[in-house]
Amino acid sequence: MNSVRLWYKKSGLAVYTSHLDMNRCFTRAVRRAGIPLWYTEGFNPHPYLTFLLPLPLGTAGEREPLDIRTVEDISADEIKKRLNAVLPEGLEIVDVTEARDKANEIVSAAYEITACFESGEEAEKFAGAVTGIIGTGALEAEKRSKRGIKTVNLCEFILSFKAKADGNAAVIHTALLTGTQQNLNAGLLEETLEKAAEMSPETLTIVRKEIYKENNELFA
Amino acid sequence: MYPEKLEKHLLRVQKPGRYTGGELNSVVKDRDSVDISYAFCFPDTYEIGMSHLGMKIIYSLVNSRDDARCERVFAPDVDMEEILRSENIPLYALESGDAVKDFDIIGFTMQYELSYTNVLNMLDLSGLPVRSADRKGLTPLVIAGGTCVCNFEPMADFVDLTLLGDGEEVTMELIDLLKEYKKKGAGKEEFLKAAAQIPGVYVPSLYEVEYKEDGTIAAVTAKDGAPGKAVKRNVADLDKMFSPETFVVPFLETVFDRTTVEIFRGCIRGCRFCQAGFLSRPLREKSPAEVERECRAICDSTGYDEISLCSLSTSDYKGLETLLRSMLPWANENKINIALPSLRVDNFPQELMEQLTSVRRSGLTFAPEAGTQRLRDVINKNITEKEVLSTCAQAFSGGWTAVKLYFMIGLPTETPEDVEGIANLAQAVVDEFYHNENKPKGKSVNVSISVASFVPKPFTPFQWEAQDRPDTLIEKQNLLMQCVKSRKITVSRHVPHTSFLEGVFARGDRRLCDVVEYAWKNGCKFDSWEEHLKLDVWMQSFEKFGIDPFFYTARKRDFDEILPWDHLDFGVTKAFLKRENERAHEGLTTPPCREKCSACGAAKLNGGVCNELCKAVV
Repeated sequence: MNSVRLWYKKSGLAVYTSHLDMNRCFTRAVRRAGIPLWYTEGFNPHPYLTFLLPLPLGTAGEREPLDIRTVEDISADEIKKRLNAVLPEGLEIVDVTEARDKANEIVSAAYEITACFESGEEAEKFAGAVTGIIGTGALEAEKRSKRGIKTVNLCEFILSFKAKADGNAAVIHTALLTGTQQNLNAGLLEETLEKAAEMSPETLTIVRKEIYKENNELFA
Repeated sequence: MYPEKLEKHLLRVQKPGRYTGGELNSVVKDRDSVDISYAFCFPDTYEIGMSHLGMKIIYSLVNSRDDARCERVFAPDVDMEEILRSENIPLYALESGDAVKDFDIIGFTMQYELSYTNVLNMLDLSGLPVRSADRKGLTPLVIAGGTCVCNFEPMADFVDLTLLGDGEEVTMELIDLLKEYKKKGAGKEEFLKAAAQIPGVYVPSLYEVEYKEDGTIAAVTAKDGAPGKAVKRNVADLDKMFSPETFVVPFLETVFDRTTVEIFRGCIRGCRFCQAGFLSRPLREKSPAEVERECRAICDSTGYDEISLCSLSTSDYKGLETLLRSMLPWANENKINIALPSLRVDNFPQELMEQLTSVRRSGLTFAPEAGTQRLRDVINKNITEKEVLSTCAQAFSGGWTAVKLYFMIGLPTETPEDVEGIANLAQAVVDEFYHNENKPKGKSVNVSISVASFVPKPFTPFQWEAQDRPDTLIEKQNLLMQCVKSRKITVSRHVPHTSFLEGVFARGDRRLCDVVEYAWKNGCKFDSWEEHLKLDVWMQSFEKFGIDPFFYTARKRDFDEILPWDHLDFGVTKAFLKRENERAHEGLTTPPCREKCSACGAAKLNGGVCNELCKAVV
């Protein structure tokens, strides 16, 4: 049995696929690709497949980790080639590596939020407004967790935040606490900023760019 | 792909994956590269529609042509409908995002009566008039197929034509004809007259219906050269028929999240309540080799790990053992689960059973349908209490602890003893568990019984029978609840109001078109969903047009009454159905086709078990 870490890119129509559906989708893709998976034992055997940091519905990802276990030796290149031949549009394997770091080492992640408006002025205004809001250090929102809903200051989850206008778009680059200990959904941040700024963009894309461990070291 | 305008709304609806398209194996063709565009519409949500085998067949079939494309359309849920309406986005097809109204053929598959209002709603969301007469152009042509079109009279004013029976051949012929008429710039009326000549096509507007004063039908007259009786299509050889080798694989979890492969059509059993069994006669089988080929191809192209072998009665498949012996090693090696719905385990080889369950263990279900042997004889359901109990005993010894039993109430000739019999049979199964020496240690048994309300359907021996009124059904349900004494038995009941509406439309006539339209205009849709059903609006709609809905449900018909579907021919003759009705009332059973031919009339459709029997005689 070999543990293998797949790094996939999720974009386009695939961002509308929820985490549970992603699980089903990859299970089938791995079967179509003929990759010899290790199955759990017991009454209801199922293939071992673990998403280390599930993406929320609507968020795209540049390089997302997914662990599988294979029962035969199969090269990284071969896995990548076979999977990319059968994955649906919007999902792509960008790399296959050994599973080095553990999921609980994940601390933060970098996001790019692009909010498009009808004019450059509006984009400018939005970028200015959100920079101001974050600058105050206080942005309250209701956050849902397993223990229920509670009101938190989102700024406590923000490690860095930069917003600027680019044509009709306001582009935000932000690093947020991410992982099993403390986590902020970039979608929730954007939604709260929209409300606070009292502006609503025409279209919106959120992309998770990179995932980090302690000391801004890339998760691998 | 969805229309661009929708993008910013997608994350505001439940399960946006229903509306995006882009699933694996979906076929996207350029509109200008084909002559005919076909929008296949399922009048319910994505998760239900994507589980439907008929759609998968027609989708692959039409897309196998270079001159045509087929795209999928589902009923948007309430939240999405609101957005489509407020943003003025016409209903679109999932592959291209093109508006449904720009397709040449808009085809609905009609699986249940309570989806009728959804058809009107989808036409309206497309920006089309709901009535056939108000759609003047040749295209879009609105057509329907599926079980319900055996009596689609309550929808006759809305569709341009229906396809009766198997769709594989007639769909292709219809596309050919439409292509020809579109090219020569013909009008809709001219086309419909020509289409009515294709066997398997029924054009409701070419039939005049007159009524008697008592509301029954006086006469149905065919006009403009339409056949006096529209005959269903029957594919004689399933091995030579088009079968898909790949399915669209949804991102979302659907109702049946697995692949389905047909093993045969038709049924030899002749259960007298079962419409599907009579509509699809004669029984025609696929060869085991062909079934296995399809299973392997579909699993390879989809990655599914479960195959359901689909038919009306798995155990009647002659090649079952051959198929399983050949296919099980492959299935087990690839961790593929084979589901055999409605398998009768009593005569099934034990070693095959063990191999079948080696991947995943599924539940044990029976459909005795009625609680007493007397009533089971009336409905010709040949399963005995002894068979149920001996199979359960076998299963309990093998480690099973849960059994599901399906029943109906409201069957013709039913008495309180029959209702009580349901509880008694369930109790007998519970007792069987506790008397079993080899039962799983330290475990308890769970017998769940599901009780549906019987709805008499066209083209069955019970097509003349009265349907129980909702209050009677509730009384019977309550009686059953009183009779259930054990906590090991759980009962699930159905809402009798949905069965009532289903009954009205199952045996309704054309005068109901106004009612359907009015109810839809007043907010009725998704009527099969309990949370959406607006019974009061339906009752107001009946009243508005002076129609007593119980005329269609609670009235027992005379054998000589002209029924709204008498001008359609599904093979089985009225004389046969009448004989079967009389035998039912005498409590006489009728043997399955393979034992003895009962001259139902389907033999004229050619193929399958009828030929098998003829050869045996020669």
